[in-house]
Formats: sequence, structure tokens, C-alpha cells
Amino acid sequence: MEGEPLPDAPDAPDTRISPTLQLQTTTVPEFPALSLSPSFKLDEGYSDDTRSQADKDLGSDNVMALPNWVLAQSEAGRAELAYSLLRSLRTSSIAAVVDRLNPILHIDPCVRLPPEVTWEIFTYLDARTLLNASLASRSWRERILDSGLWRFHYIHEGWDMDTSAIRAFEQEHSEAMSPQTRKSRLRHSEPDLGEPKQKKRVPSTWLDSRSGGNQKPTVFGPETPVADSEGDHYMTDDDDQAAPSSTDDPEFTLPTNISQSPSPLYPPLRSHLLIRDTDGSAKVNYFHIYKQRRRLEANWHQGRYTNFQLPDPSHPEEAHRECVYAIQFEGRWLVSGSRDKTVRVWNLDTKRLWHPPLVGHIKSVLCLQFDPRPEENIIISGSSDRSVIVWKFSTGEKIHQIEQAHTDSVLNLKFDHRYLVTCSKDRTVKVWNRRDLLPNSKDYPRICHGSGATYPTWIVDLNAVAPNVLEAGIAHEQYKALEPYTLLMTVEGHGAAVNAMQIHGDDIVTASGDRVIKVWNIRTGACSKTLLGHEKGIACVEFDSRRIISGSNDNSVRIYDHATGAEVACLRAHSNLVRTLQAGFGDAPGADETLHGEARACEAAFFAAQEAGLDVDMGHREQRRNGYQPNTAGSRDPRDIPALGAKIPPGGGGSSWARIVSGSYDESILIWHKDRDNRWITDHQLRHSDALANSARANLSQVARTTVAAQAQHLQAAQALAALGQNANVNPHAGRSNPQFVPPLVINALPLNTPPAHHHHHHGHQRRPQGSSTAARVFKLQFDARKLICASVDPRIVGWDFACDDEDIIEASPFFKGL
Amino acid sequence: MSSITLTSSDGVDISVERTTAERSVLIKNMLEDLGDSGEAIPIPNVNEAVLKKVIEWCEHHKHDPPSASDDDDNRRKTTDIDEWDQKFMQVDQEMLFEIILAANYLDIKALLDVGCKTVANMIKGKSPEEIRKTFNIQNDFTSEEEDQIRRENEWAEDR
Repeated sequence: MEGEPLPDAPDAPDTRISPTLQLQTTTVPEFPALSLSPSFKLDEGYSDDTRSQADKDLGSDNVMALPNWVLAQSEAGRAELAYSLLRSLRTSSIAAVVDRLNPILHIDPCVRLPPEVTWEIFTYLDARTLLNASLASRSWRERILDSGLWRFHYIHEGWDMDTSAIRAFEQEHSEAMSPQTRKSRLRHSEPDLGEPKQKKRVPSTWLDSRSGGNQKPTVFGPETPVADSEGDHYMTDDDDQAAPSSTDDPEFTLPTNISQSPSPLYPPLRSHLLIRDTDGSAKVNYFHIYKQRRRLEANWHQGRYTNFQLPDPSHPEEAHRECVYAIQFEGRWLVSGSRDKTVRVWNLDTKRLWHPPLVGHIKSVLCLQFDPRPEENIIISGSSDRSVIVWKFSTGEKIHQIEQAHTDSVLNLKFDHRYLVTCSKDRTVKVWNRRDLLPNSKDYPRICHGSGATYPTWIVDLNAVAPNVLEAGIAHEQYKALEPYTLLMTVEGHGAAVNAMQIHGDDIVTASGDRVIKVWNIRTGACSKTLLGHEKGIACVEFDSRRIISGSNDNSVRIYDHATGAEVACLRAHSNLVRTLQAGFGDAPGADETLHGEARACEAAFFAAQEAGLDVDMGHREQRRNGYQPNTAGSRDPRDIPALGAKIPPGGGGSSWARIVSGSYDESILIWHKDRDNRWITDHQLRHSDALANSARANLSQVARTTVAAQAQHLQAAQALAALGQNANVNPHAGRSNPQFVPPLVINALPLNTPPAHHHHHHGHQRRPQGSSTAARVFKLQFDARKLICASVDPRIVGWDFACDDEDIIEASPFFKGL
Repeated sequence: MSSITLTSSDGVDISVERTTAERSVLIKNMLEDLGDSGEAIPIPNVNEAVLKKVIEWCEHHKHDPPSASDDDDNRRKTTDIDEWDQKFMQVDQEMLFEIILAANYLDIKALLDVGCKTVANMIKGKSPEEIRKTFNIQNDFTSEEEDQIRRENEWAEDR
């Protein structure tokens, strides 16, 4: 039997039993010696692998023929016999027998199991465990470094990727190949034919050629297209330097024979962005993508970055004339709005102004949103002149203006493809249509009496008109379509200025100086929730469909469960109003179930602790009485649980890579992440002024510089950070403010009778270079996977690039999306 | 309660309740497509011992609700295994891998998951040398290669 090829796995279930398959291993008395024979491989039937590990290990291990009387015994009888025989031996002999039996009892899953099953196994292990296991053997390493496996892990870390950018990139590099180079490189000895076989090295010439000429590679934005010939070059080059085909390599078929020089590592030691699939097409290597994302995240954690500013320091004439209140970036574009009344569009690749400034508002531009996609091609801005202007993004021309949109400053606005929603210092929120709107459209407002919303007279009450009458009315043009940017409703309910808002699906979330957050229905204007907790006015709010995150004049950031309105965390580290924030929780697929499970587990622990008579209770008073200071930043300790019944756990849940960045009038930007116990902590404080100083010198962050220096000296990164820690000077929070600055934000600053805030002092490695002391209250920030950009009192916009000049990260980052 | 007969690869007929057997998507689809002719269904890739073990598992889990989502991407990847399944999987590696292969062939997702989790737990927390020992793997790296790979993998060390 040995050496005979195994039958292929039957495709059809009704395949008749092959005679060879009747030979079986276990408990078949007719074939007594089989349990020691390699033929137990026969029932495998799933693998093309013709050699099993047992074959090679037992090949020389001839088993003595047994006398007939032994073979005549039953399985149990023979077992008893074997045991008695073993007991008659010296221990050392028993150990030697056990050693020889080892190959039967210990089986390599990468030999026995097909790749799709080991793949499944490897999905249960984390990156560190997997890379550790990849050292077991070459075949383990090859299966573990499978691109698809790391795509799975990338997604399950809660990271997002730009699949259309990846597809375009793959297509571009596949098409760049000439047909002659599309050789099929299947290896017969490998059952895993579907796997990418040739992990390709990208030659440095290719890297250089990407940016064209002698320019340095561009920092952001889409890749410069690669000429076809270059793609050819890279593929041809690879053929030349490809590892010898392992089937031709006698050493590969006898992997135990390691005394001779082994075949080169496959996949190669260093991963690369592109690999070639079996059909010759180019694919991105998700192992490489995962690795670079992880390295990028490590830079965020450790505060390694380079800085830049808009405009480029060599073009100071392009800068806003006064402070910048609003920014948004997407792809290579950034749009900013300033107290200087202009809106400016920037190219992040060049750090230069793209259009002349957009002039139209007669007072400060306080808020804006833009969508550069060709189907939208739009910027909408709101101003303290009470108006809203719609601009064409690509040309900068003004295409519409809503004069007197509100009776006071327009503090924030958001739009989707259906609606524009604005909120104002006049305490109202208004909803406008973006397209022609007929009463029979599903986007037409539904009048909801008693909701607090008021509707203009032109809104037809659909409750009062029968559908057929409505259709007839539309047919006879009795009901005309509403022109774009017609007021649909005015929502009132806040007792002070509405400072910030978000829209998500049919929900509008608003945050006000009246200290509460409200959730409204965008079709009816009905308020579905009011969230309490903040002790002073609220300046900013974020909403990701599961959580609402807000920053307030009480210096805290709070996280609420959207489903129940429960407050699940309160983060305190700022020493002044929290003006802007962004949160990314990194929910992996299936997050709802995970979050509910975690929330239930916390509650179960709470009730268990209560039942056990431990001193746990809701609310602060009881806990303060016994001197316990609860952690409100996400701890799941039963004593710290802030609310019961929430659909998300304390702290809000999400991936371990979750990140919140908050900017404050204390002039600092804090990067929050979760510690091992799910508590939000902040290690890094960034300052606008430092970024300006760094970018003017085109320099690395202090941490980055130190790290680079440390690497140069072959020091451990840990040592470098430890050294840094000694130099770190704790920054006293400066309360300086620009005297002529009038904040557009209206905060109802009546303090409640509140207990003193418990500050968590996590002063990290922040530093403030001498000679740079521009007071810079932070107005607006935004981050994506790679960078953080921030607007402040200073007219210059500054950014932190966490790729930190790393070529591999920069190359992979066009495919990364935020959390 | 209808029952059907399965024939193992070594030619042994095993009678099993239809609902139990239908934990296998392969068998379920076959019965749906072909109808229950009363004839024995050959399971050419699974021997009697393994098939009995698989049926034991299906028997125990026959009332499990169908898994909420068979979509791989929507499963949370914990390696927690319930107590009964843990006991069930306390078998030699030969049998463990045979069960996994059978579950894969017969398309019994939940059993495949339990099997894979069991193997994953055997890998967790072990050094490469311990993994080699556990699964009788020949180290075919040179010590120089091992060092290189170790260095190359440092990015995945704990934050």
C-alpha cells in the first residue's frame, strides 16, 4: 500500500466505496497490525499529499511480524498483552518504546489536515501566537503566512480597509504584466493549490518609480499610476530571482534531511505588498497589510510621528488670516473654514491651496462639510452671518445660498444625500431637502403633532391626505416638488445654543449648551431621547450608531449607549472645555452580539458581587461614603459599573485598538486608548504649537527622533522609551487665551452642585519646545488611520503623520481606513 | 421518528435518527435532493469508529438551534468550548483529526469549530519547540533562519 497514490476526495456523495478504503485503522480485528501501519492514512481522502509524516517517520521503523496466536486475540486482549509485556521491561526500555510510538500519538496537523482546515484553526489564534507557531516548521510558516488568513485577522482587529483602492491597485499591477510572464506555478506536492504561491518582492526600482522622476514619494493620496513597462519589469525580475521550484528540489521532498543546506525560505523572510496568485495576477499580501497596520498603530500608541502644516511653511501667504474653526479632510483634500470669512480647499499631497479662497460669507465660517465624489462635488458651509452657502467643490463657485437660514449663528451642519441639517445659536435645528422632493417620496417629512417640531405651511400633512388624492394632486401639479434646500421642519427643544450635531441614518443627534444631548427622528422631528450627565454645556458630539460620545465645558468626555441612553464612561483628563473629538471603536463584524454579551457579563458580575455581599452599588454617593473612588473610564469591576441595562459594556466596548482623540481649550489634544482592563487612558498629549515647531523644522517628533537614534545604536525600543521618560517634563496646563478671540460656541456655564472631578493624571511624554508658546485653543480635529489634523486659534492648520516616514507603512497606508 | 442507515467506509451499517444525521449538511442536502429511498447512504471517507463518534456528537447536539450565522466573518472567535464538547474531544490526536476531517467532509460546521478550537488551544501559549513536541514536527529551519524569523516577527510582540 505504501507509496500508492491516494484517491482524490470524492466530489459526489454517492461515490461507491473504493476497495482500498476498506482498510481501516482503528478497532478492526481482521487487520491487527494496522494500528502501527502507515496505511491508516488511507481514509484521509482529502489531501493530495502522497506522503504522510507517519510514512517518513515509520519507514525505517520496521515492526516485527507477530505470531498468529497474538493476532488471534481481540483488540482488548492484545492491549492487555502489550501492557503486560511493557510492564516486564525496565523503565528506560518503556521510554524507548514510547519514543517510537510518538509519531502515532503526535501528528502534525499541517500534514494531516488540508489547508482550509488549518486555516480555520489559525483563525482562532492571535497574531503573536501565530507568528510564534510559524517557527515550528517550514510548512507551518507557509500556511500561517497565508494572505487570506491575515485578511481575516485584519478585519477582526476592527480595522477597516479601502477595498476599492485595493482592487484598483491589484488590477493595475495585473494588467501591467505581459501574457508570457503569466506562468502557472502550481506545485504538485502541495494540496493547497488555491493559495498564492509566489510572494513577490517589489524591487526598490519599483518603489522609486512610483513617484515619478526624482521626487520623493508623495505622502498622502492615491498612488501615482505605474507605467506598464515598470510592472513588466517587476514581474520579470521576480521570475529571475524566484526560489527554485520545490518539486525540483530533492531536499524539499525529504524535509527531515536538514543536515544539508535547506531551500530558501518560502515565503521570503521579509513580506512585501504584492504577491502573485497562481493565475499570475497580482494580489496585495494581506499579511503585509496587517503587519504595516499594526506597526502604524504602534506609532500611535508610542507617539511616533512627523508633523506637517497647511500651508507649507514656504507659502505663508496661503494661510488663513485668522483662526480656523472648521476642517474636514477626505482623500487628498482638506477644506477649512475660518474667522477670516473664507473657505479654503487644500491639497494634502502638496500642502498647498488648491483654489483661491472661497469668498461669500460676511462673517466667520463656523462649520462645513464637503463631499468630493463626482456625484456630489459639494461643500456646504455655515457662518455666524446666519447663512448657509453651497459651493461646487471642484471649482469653488457658489451655487446656492440659504440667507437667514437661522436667526443667529449657524454653529454646525451635516448633510447626507437626502437632507441638510443645520443647528444654531438660536436653539433650533433645521432640516432641509437636498433634492427635488415630492410628497410621495419616502424622504418627505411626516408631520408629527406634539413633537416639538414645526413645519412650514408648504409641507403637506400626509396624515390628512388619502394616498390616491395625493397621487392625483401630484399628477395635476396641485402638489409641486419642493426645490432643493427648502426648509422641511424646525426642531425646537433645547434650552440653549445647539453647538454640535451628527446625522446617522434617520437619527439626528444634537448637543447643546443646556447640558443635554437629544436624539431626533429626521423625518418627523420627534425627539426620541434626551441624554443627561454632563454638568456643563456640551461642545461636541459624535455618533456611530451604537454610541454617542460628547465633550463638554465640564472638561469631560462621556460615552453613552445609544440604545438605552445610559452613560457608560466619563473620561477626565482635560483641564478646560472639550471642544472637539473623534472616536473610533473599531467594531469587528458581529459587534452587536459581542457588545451585548460583554454588557451582560458585566451585569452578571455586578449581581454576583451584590449577592456575595460585596459593597457594590450604583451611584457615587454610596461609594464615596466608604472611601472608594470609582473608575468611570470603562472599568468592568463590579464596583465601577456606571449603569445597568445598557447594550454596550462600560467604556463602550469595541476593539482593543479603539481610539478617541479629544481637543480642548486647555490647548492640548489627547489620544485615548484602552488599557488591558478596557479602561480608557491617555498617554500622549499633543500640542498645536509643538506641531508647528516640528513641521517648520521638517522634523520628527521627539519620541520618533529618540527612537530612530535608539535603533541606530541597536538599542531596544523599550530602552529608548525608558530614557525618554526620564526627560519628560510634566506640562502645567496653560490657561492663556487669545484676548481678541470671541468663541463662536455658546456654553451655558452654570455649574451644578457637583462633586469635585476626579482627574486621572496620565501625563506622558509631552514636551513643549522652548521659544514656542502660541496659545492655541483647539477648535476642530479629525483623524484617519494614518494622520491627525487639527485647527486652532492659530491660522495655520497642523497635522501629525503617524507613518513617521516609514516607507513600508506609507506604501500600505492608501489601503487603510480608520477604525 | 424516521431513521436512516449510513454505511461507513469500512462497510459497517449504522442506523441513525434522521434529525440527528441531518446535523450534517451533506447528508441533509442528499436526503432533500434524492429523497429517502430507504437505502443505506455510503459515507466513503469516514470509518466506523469515527462515524460513531460523530453520530454521538450529533445526537447530543440535535436540539441545538441552528447557528445564528454560518457566515465566517460574523463569528466571534473565542476558543471557549462547552464542557460536554471538551470531554468529547478528549481523544487521541489520530481520532481528533479524523473527527475534524469527518466534520469537514460531512459539513457539520459546529463540530468542525469545536475540533478546530481544540487544536487551537493545543497551540496557544506554547513555544515553537513545545509545539513541535506536541505535534511531532521536525524542525526544518536552520538556527540562523530561526533567529532571522524571530527578529522579523518582533512587530507582533505585545504593545
